[in-house]
Amino acid sequence: MGFMPGCSLPSYTPEGVKKTMEYLKQIYPDLGGVQKCCGKGTKALGQEEKFKERFAGLQKDIDDVGIETMIVACQNCYKTIKETSDHTDVESLWTLLPKIGLPEEVRGKAKDSDVVFGIHDSCSTRYEKEIQDGIRWIMSELGYRVEETEHSRENARCCGFGGMIVPANPDLATRVMKRRADDFESDHVVVYCAACRSSMMKVGKKAFHILDLLWGPVVYNEEPAPEDVLSSPAKSWINRYKSKHAVRQVVKA
Amino acid sequence: MEFKKNVWEQASHITDGCMGHEDAFCTAACPMHTDVKKYIAQIGKGDYEGALKTIREKLFLPNTLGRICAHPCETDCRRNTEFGQPLSVAGLKRFAAERADRKELWEDSVGEPTGKRVAVIGAGPAGAQAAIDLRKAGHEVVIYDKLHVVGGMMRVGIPEYRLPREVIDFEYSYLVDLGVEFKMGVEIGKDVTFSQLREDYDSVIVANGAHKGTIPPVPGKDAEGVFNAVDYLKDISLTHKFPKAGKKIAVIGGGDVAMDCARSSWRIGAEEVLLISLEELENLPASQEEIDESQEEDVQFINGWGTDEILKDKAGKVKGLRLKKVLSVFDENGRFAPQFSEETQEVKIDTVVFATGQQVEDITDGQLEQKGGGRYVTDPDTLATNLPDVFAAGDASGGAIVVQAMALGRKAAASADRFLKEKDLAEGRNFKLEYSFETRLDVPLPKGTENLPRTSGNHRSAKERKRDFKAFDLGYTDEQAQKEASRCLQCECKLCMTECLMMNDYGECPQDIFGEFLEKGEIDPIIPYSCNMCGGCTHVCPNDYKIGETFMGMRKDFILHNDGKSPMDGHKAIEVHQKLGFSKIFCTKVKGVK
Ligand SMILES: Cc1cc2nc3c(=O)[nH]c(=O)nc-3n(C[C@H](O)[C@H](O)[C@H](O)COP(=O)(O)OP(=O)(O)OC[C@H]3O[C@@H](n4cnc5c(N)ncnc54)[C@H](O)[C@@H]3O)c2cc1C
Ligand code: SF4
Ligand code: SF4
Ligand code: SF4
Repeated sequence: MGFMPGCSLPSYTPEGVKKTMEYLKQIYPDLGGVQKCCGKGTKALGQEEKFKERFAGLQKDIDDVGIETMIVACQNCYKTIKETSDHTDVESLWTLLPKIGLPEEVRGKAKDSDVVFGIHDSCSTRYEKEIQDGIRWIMSELGYRVEETEHSRENARCCGFGGMIVPANPDLATRVMKRRADDFESDHVVVYCAACRSSMMKVGKKAFHILDLLWGPVVYNEEPAPEDVLSSPAKSWINRYKSKHAVRQVVKA
Repeated sequence: MEFKKNVWEQASHITDGCMGHEDAFCTAACPMHTDVKKYIAQIGKGDYEGALKTIREKLFLPNTLGRICAHPCETDCRRNTEFGQPLSVAGLKRFAAERADRKELWEDSVGEPTGKRVAVIGAGPAGAQAAIDLRKAGHEVVIYDKLHVVGGMMRVGIPEYRLPREVIDFEYSYLVDLGVEFKMGVEIGKDVTFSQLREDYDSVIVANGAHKGTIPPVPGKDAEGVFNAVDYLKDISLTHKFPKAGKKIAVIGGGDVAMDCARSSWRIGAEEVLLISLEELENLPASQEEIDESQEEDVQFINGWGTDEILKDKAGKVKGLRLKKVLSVFDENGRFAPQFSEETQEVKIDTVVFATGQQVEDITDGQLEQKGGGRYVTDPDTLATNLPDVFAAGDASGGAIVVQAMALGRKAAASADRFLKEKDLAEGRNFKLEYSFETRLDVPLPKGTENLPRTSGNHRSAKERKRDFKAFDLGYTDEQAQKEASRCLQCECKLCMTECLMMNDYGECPQDIFGEFLEKGEIDPIIPYSCNMCGGCTHVCPNDYKIGETFMGMRKDFILHNDGKSPMDGHKAIEVHQKLGFSKIFCTKVKGVK
């Protein structure tokens, strides 16, 4: 068993990475860890050769530390490993949590929250019903209320970040983000990808990563959402660095 | 730049099958391909003039067709195939014509004179459409008709209470505006021979319709008081009378022509009208509207009976009919072969009108070959005949309703124009588009579609209308038209375009985007690099087209031709970013401990 935070999640929340791994470690004491990019971005640009090279690097890291099943919290990592690796199994954190349960202290913690969350499903896993079920299960375990929309689950629409279009066609990307935001009636949106969170924040939604809800304070209507860290490259890289240490620290503890 | 074979293949797979530009069911079914969806939407927005202009792009007879078109579009309308309640496509057409048609809107420019002269035989819809198109191509056109009035069967077949004659005259004035010459009251084959006409003109369009009424070989058919539908309706059309008819009239036949005869009978003073058909009521070939309207007017239906004998009195006048019960109309191969039982009944009547089909008369002294029903033998694609300068159109070549006659007139004109310009008759023509066709459109019903009833029109009461020749249908009011227009489902695919913002920036549907790529062999990299790879398009596409994957294939080729780098400026920073994502500073691997 191992955990891999990916790119956008560790850049957003070292704290979330740490707490998640600590909980996993309780259940799987031999938990290993790898922090590296899965290469999805390289692949998305169309750099086939470079992607193969980079994924091989990741695969080597995974093999080096003897991880047979990799737990991931990013839908792109999930898809990339699933489609590319011939011997590493991949499990989404969102399907694993319903199996192992949530820590006692978080269950029902948000039952008094006045927030109704719209759920932004990731378009990259539009056909992974189990992942989508897992998210709803976690929300209900925590005690949050959610609202489904016409564009839930397999009808999910892109947050605007996909396909590396932000740098290529920024005006279009903003329109895609706005359109996605308009799919939700509620101001509050829960996401399970840190890049999606950043997109929704850019167009004025109060977006929360589900790990914010899992490990952070209970959210009420009046309070602001956490800062859009990914919009600042400097902060993101510092976080990524912090996350790297969190991975080491938790695994070795 | 070169793209790999798989990119080409995927792009052409999508371009070939994409339904984005596929016609709606109504438009494909219309032989003239009127943009129904568009004009209904315009009516819905209150833009009646826009709607009228849309209709006039294809039809010079909006008001006429709005009243009497047999509307194949309504048969194929999605609301008919789903719920049995088609849009009132024709009714809305009439509405647009009544609200907005003015001569000033008519497009009456003609082409440069070619010096060629064409004779058109017949001023029915086929001849008129052919004349219009040939005038527009710059040829001189003269229409010959044996009648003194224009319109053909629309004038002397279709009854006046369904189609007021001033509507025909107004709409036909368009031909005069275009400079079409009319020689009325001239019968070809009698007043002028067909050969003479061919000598006098560079080309001839034969559109003489099917004006020979038929009477089946029933015992007693020579009795006084037996008529065919064509002669009956023609006299009533021209004079509002039929003095030879009595008061108790039996119409034999089950089609629309029979309904016209029956309903016209009231209007010339009949006291009793019977409609006798071989088919049972539920299998009558007539349209449901005509059946309903006839029944409202108290026509007595005797369905499932055939004529055994026409009974005469001593003077040789009709006094009744002996009917025999029908067992079946068609044999096991679907051929018309009625079988009767022994059961008979007699009805007392004094007049019989046979509405059992019309035939095409030969007006060419045998120069054109004829086949079943007298129709001239033509090449179905071009309407060319065995004479190179002669083309046959309308009922005379195989049509059965007005709008088909127009499409065939247009087809014959296109061929004649090519003949006159010494061009190949077929080359480069898409014959499928010259007549009704089946659209490839195959899409789910729009979300939330409900079965809404067709908006009924305003018919005068049967009691009032059945004694005069004034229009029985008063047409839609503004509110009714709006309500009806709002039922249109605006049938189209383009489902991917409702999901994808980016493709809307580059075309109307993937067929445009990939078609252009195939045509030019290149594509602006901004297009494939604007794809989110979100799969939304494929998710909603009824054909599951892998559009994102195709863009991805293009990206890969761009990278190969650009030293492994993205062609997009904005991606430079990303490259650095990614390198860092794999660098030691930010990466780690740790083995778990027990
Ligand atoms: C009673 C009846 C009701 C109908 N109702 C409908 C309806 O509701 N909707 C619909 O869409 N269709 C209807 N139809 C069918 C429709 O009228 C015809 O399909 C259409 O008119 C055919 O057009 P055409 O131009 O081919 O021939 P026609 O309209 O028949 O015109 C042919 C013209 O050629 C002229 N002509 C014939 N011989 C000569 C000659 N030797 N010399 C000079 N001129 C000649 C005739 O006088 C006539 O004017 C109906 C038909 C009938 C008989
Ligand atoms: S619903 Fe409208 S667009 Fe669709 S077939 Fe009917 S008339 Fe045409
Ligand atoms: S959904 Fe789009 S790609 Fe698919 S057939 Fe329709 S228009 Fe074409
Ligand atoms: S995958 Fe690309 S083309 Fe398809 S909907 Fe998403 S952005 Fe548009």
